[in-house]
Amino acid sequence: MADQPLLRLTDISRHYGAIQALKGAAFEIGRGEVMGLVGENGAGKSTMVKIIGGFDTGFTGEYFYDGEVRHFPSPTAAEQVGIAIAQQELSLIPTMSVAENIFLAGDGVPQIASRKTLAKMAKPFLEEVGLGHVDPLRSTTRLSVGEQHLVEVARLIAHNPQVLILDEPTAALGETDSIRILDMVNRLKEAGKSVIYVSHRMDEIFKICDRITVLRDGESQAPRAAADMDVNSLVEMMLGFELGDMYPARKPFSRTEPVLKVRDLWPDGIIEPISFDVYPGEILGLAGQLGSGTSEILGAMAGSTKTRGGKLHYKGEEFLPTRPKDTIRRGIAYCSEDRKHDGLFLGRPIMENLSAPSLETISSKGFLNGTKELSTTTENAVKFTVDPKRLPQEAGVLSGGNQQKVALGKWLSISPDVILVNEPTRGVDVGARAEIYQILRDLADQGAAIVVASTDIQEITNLPDRIVSFYRGVQIGELQLDDMTSANILEQITDPFHEAGIAVSEKAS
Amino acid sequence: MTDATVNTGNNLNLIQRIRRDYSPLVIGMVGLFLVVFVAGAVFTDDFLTWFNVKTIIRDAALVGIMAIGLTFVTLSGNFFLLSMKEIAALSIICFATLMSADWNQWGTVGADPTTWSLTMTFLVAFVATMIIATIAGALQGALIGLGGNPIVVTLGAAGLFFGIGSWWSDNLVVSYRRPHGAEWLGTGSFIGDIPNITVAFIIIAVVAELTLRYTTFGRQVYLVGANRAAGRATGHENFGMAIKCCIIASVCAAFVAVAFSGQVSSAHVNYFSSEFGSSGDMTIMVIAIVMVGGNSIMGGYGSTLRTSLGAIFISSIDNMMVLNGFNSGARVLAVGLMIVFSIIVFALVRRGSRAVE
Repeated sequence: MADQPLLRLTDISRHYGAIQALKGAAFEIGRGEVMGLVGENGAGKSTMVKIIGGFDTGFTGEYFYDGEVRHFPSPTAAEQVGIAIAQQELSLIPTMSVAENIFLAGDGVPQIASRKTLAKMAKPFLEEVGLGHVDPLRSTTRLSVGEQHLVEVARLIAHNPQVLILDEPTAALGETDSIRILDMVNRLKEAGKSVIYVSHRMDEIFKICDRITVLRDGESQAPRAAADMDVNSLVEMMLGFELGDMYPARKPFSRTEPVLKVRDLWPDGIIEPISFDVYPGEILGLAGQLGSGTSEILGAMAGSTKTRGGKLHYKGEEFLPTRPKDTIRRGIAYCSEDRKHDGLFLGRPIMENLSAPSLETISSKGFLNGTKELSTTTENAVKFTVDPKRLPQEAGVLSGGNQQKVALGKWLSISPDVILVNEPTRGVDVGARAEIYQILRDLADQGAAIVVASTDIQEITNLPDRIVSFYRGVQIGELQLDDMTSANILEQITDPFHEAGIAVSEKAS
Repeated sequence: MTDATVNTGNNLNLIQRIRRDYSPLVIGMVGLFLVVFVAGAVFTDDFLTWFNVKTIIRDAALVGIMAIGLTFVTLSGNFFLLSMKEIAALSIICFATLMSADWNQWGTVGADPTTWSLTMTFLVAFVATMIIATIAGALQGALIGLGGNPIVVTLGAAGLFFGIGSWWSDNLVVSYRRPHGAEWLGTGSFIGDIPNITVAFIIIAVVAELTLRYTTFGRQVYLVGANRAAGRATGHENFGMAIKCCIIASVCAAFVAVAFSGQVSSAHVNYFSSEFGSSGDMTIMVIAIVMVGGNSIMGGYGSTLRTSLGAIFISSIDNMMVLNGFNSGARVLAVGLMIVFSIIVFALVRRGSRAVE
């Protein structure tokens, strides 16, 4: 590490209207260093990243790059001196090939270049991010989401940046793709680049970061070496108080009669029909990586994705849902992994979001009962620790954690007996995450059956009472509570047939 | 941005709230516009008279009713019906043909028709027209609900409806004799000198707004419009929604056709392509009103109240320009500018309210 940091920001403040996003925060990163940037949702991470990358110019404070005072007027200006950001959302052009995407900006490429030349030029960058096996001429849509993220990084690397900002690169990725990203960060570091790594995933932060900067309520703590900290002390710094154990304690219960039997359900994208039982009072985990089919299974159970066949046995009834209405009517709730897509009405008030599935129960003869709506939504908001005063606000103004709570909380209004949740805490900060786990556990204790699909290995190890695992569209096995160790689960979801030849637990560590 | 730091703002006065909620650009644009409008209103002779105000609202009534119907389609996220004027054209031909049919001359030949026979003829023609409009709306709604692109579906439907109307009437004017049973709606007035069509406009505007606010259906319109996927996931399918909203829009168009036919005692397929607003094209005019009212083109945000105000607003600008002797070209230009203006202002307002994220 050089004596003088490559990039240093001091006393940075930024406010949007009445909201102070950053209050005199500081940030620095040295050459060849991986700096973790962590904090709850709304702590100011995104604002900080935007300021560093030149996207946000309306801040006050000092910005030094390479010892000089800078104030970039635009992201392009920041890019020219070597600061590149890989955004959370992909910005690839899906119809173009990998090589074309890498050289989108067009610099360093001859005026007229054949596809072959482009491919040849793209190859070294792909190798650098660990995509050496990918044909540069392949269409971008045919890559996995993780590979697409890596292509995006390859595109940034093509500009030879000195500082690379990765904003939650693994938020939407499964375990294998995440490992690729982490490997790439290590390679970049060896090449002398500086990497700012923004993430909610504690395990990753500790695996790759040299130092960690914590933001809380727009204020920064002095960066500390990762080696001096552990998960608990980091979380404590982020929240300002101790979290205790994030995962609620499991209570002993006895399985008697399943509330829902899934029989020969065959969703599109799954190799063979699958069957399993769900018992009241338990949290059942569907473990599997991205692309293992767990999302499709939950979607099919809810009638929201296409199914080739099968039956659900539920309350003495056999049926196959073809649309979500079929399951909502019967008291089965489904919360998808993408709340912005089909979980929330972002432009509508929080109250309308919370009452959306139960309009029938809050209206009589076609007219809405405003008093009833207010009382039920207030009750559910309180259960999910969403301030009832905010009910008239648009759902879009909430932070990610609160949005997820609303997306999940709306289902309480139909008093569901079965709750299907895909990725319950994607893009959710630590505090809200613990709350969501606690609520799910409380619901299970009250007798609801909960099915959770997750690609987060910590979550799937610690939350459920029982696990059914999947690998590339095949049902692998079932793990009871006693066998549910991260190593067992990882083996079943990443390499059940021992194709790789090395122990997965080794690979993951 | 911790959620807790959001200032709830209950302690601010009106001006402070406006300054907090809207950017200076928006305040400036709206302020400038209001100054121009008020100045125009004050300095235009005869603008602020009771007679002129009635004229403005009566002018707004026909396009306004149609725009209120279309607002349901737009709010539910199904874009626009580009076939509004063709639905009206088919309806007016249907209505006038039935009004002028031989069998309606009940009573003695040559004698004046009785009130009874006039009313019955009107009712038969009215109900038949509404049935046709309902079918027209349901057809388009079903195609849109099944996933058809609203632009393509309604452009196709427009040709279909116009073709049927034109064929049916041989492209001729269908006229019928006064006195007839639609005069009360076209030109009559029950309450003092306020035209009945103005009263109908106000009633429809109020009913539509109450429907959107206080009924289950109204809420579903907003939810499906705000996010179709989330609507489906919570049990509100767009299929039924598209059909219902298209029927509402079609029936409103048919009602306007009936009222207009009552005014002129005749019908022609081209009435709605040439007689309305400064540009004469009813579809364009109706879409302009929905946009000027500030309804989100993507759905889920807006109201029929906005549409009604938009109709009165366009009508009053048009009226002001007529009184000041502008020709129709300038008036079309003004409507165009208003659409662009309102889209910019409302987009800025919406973006401002999202900045809290």
